[in-house]
Amino acid sequence: MPLEILLVLVVGGIAGIAVLLHLTGKSRLQVLTPDTASEQWLRHFPDDIVVDVTVAHDGHAALVRTDTGAGLIWSFGADTVARHLRDFDWLHHPKGLEVQFHDFGTPHVIVNLDETERSHWQHLMEPA
Amino acid sequence: MTDPVSFPDAVQWAVPFFIAAILAEFLWIVIKGRGGRYETRDALTSLIMGAGNIASGLLLGFIAYAFFMWLWQITPLNLGTSIPVILLCFVLDDLRYYWVHRFGHRIRWVWASHVNHHSSQHYNLTTALRQTWTYTFTFMMVVRAPLILLGFHPAMVLFVGGLNLIYQFWIHTEAIGKMPRWFEAVMNTPSHHRAHHGRNARYLDCNYAGVFIIWDKMFGTFVPEQEDDRVDYGLVHNIGTFNPLRVAFHEWVGIWRDATQPGLSLRQRLAYCFAPPGYSHDGSRDNSEQIKAKHLDRHPEDRGTPGFEQFDVKSPDAPAEQA
Repeated sequence: MPLEILLVLVVGGIAGIAVLLHLTGKSRLQVLTPDTASEQWLRHFPDDIVVDVTVAHDGHAALVRTDTGAGLIWSFGADTVARHLRDFDWLHHPKGLEVQFHDFGTPHVIVNLDETERSHWQHLMEPA
Repeated sequence: MTDPVSFPDAVQWAVPFFIAAILAEFLWIVIKGRGGRYETRDALTSLIMGAGNIASGLLLGFIAYAFFMWLWQITPLNLGTSIPVILLCFVLDDLRYYWVHRFGHRIRWVWASHVNHHSSQHYNLTTALRQTWTYTFTFMMVVRAPLILLGFHPAMVLFVGGLNLIYQFWIHTEAIGKMPRWFEAVMNTPSHHRAHHGRNARYLDCNYAGVFIIWDKMFGTFVPEQEDDRVDYGLVHNIGTFNPLRVAFHEWVGIWRDATQPGLSLRQRLAYCFAPPGYSHDGSRDNSEQIKAKHLDRHPEDRGTPGFEQFDVKSPDAPAEQA
């Protein structure tokens, strides 16, 4: 196949599919509740025992306290990603907190928090 | 002297079909309200990975092709290009695919290339296109050497390999349940391949087939999809990025960081490169056998069921192990 035609097909195909998905509402983030956050945590870490869950006001992240320590779970498109809070840093961010994981495949996540939540989360994220 | 044997690049010619099939699957899901899930950024990442795979083939494909042509020059055998020879080449290349794929899950160096194909938590036709950019660096082209030394022309070997990949495109879907029993018995199907993409303990390291599922049945890696254990797609530790560069290279970076940490023996450094994924020198990570064993500790009722056959079912009369 001539390279120019291949290029047009690939670029046009990718752009067209992405626009179609976005316009049909497939860009929405998963919204977490305490129950779904707990359920999703156990999907990622089935050996853990969840002690309690604190969900951010926008429902796109939750702090999970487990028998092995605290962890963060957050909306990742229509799904979730979760990490134990072991090797991480956090920074203040205009929207709340930025958590950095020192992991090339999961570099950082921005958690939307209001002022009250921010100080509470900072306290919860401190090592026991 | 120029070599007169040439075959089309089947994968490039299949691109319009890939686009049409993705649109058809998406419409089917929207109309029927079942049969899979789509998410914009996940699909976009998969499609960009697919485009990058074609680009890496154009840029780096010459390395494998030069190797194959060198083999072709030294082999005294030439089976020609008749239809039966092409069919035989297709079947043998599928056996080659089975082993490369199995190595891809059991050798971290090869997994670093293949992992991106499993990095989506979705399973739809775009997932099929979430392909590696770094296959050349795995050196798995050597597994094709026997085919060429046996007298199959390199162009034919690459052609049937392309057909193999095109076959595997359509099985990346939840829109198709089970196929007729005879088909499920011989061919790789959406059901068999869904199980392969599962991160559930049961489905780890199973169903490596490309076209014919018989290889898994022959070599003991077949696990049928279970109605009571719905497949959870993705990685044991799912990545948190849609950035194609991070998707393509994250495991290579992981290998580098692990193998270069201070205080390790040479054996431990090599194990971080070539042992099965999940190896750690300090026992801080689990490989698939350990994940399965832990699952059985939580769910002893699964012992001996598909995917857990290697863990013996203990008879109630068996003597207790000595502490």
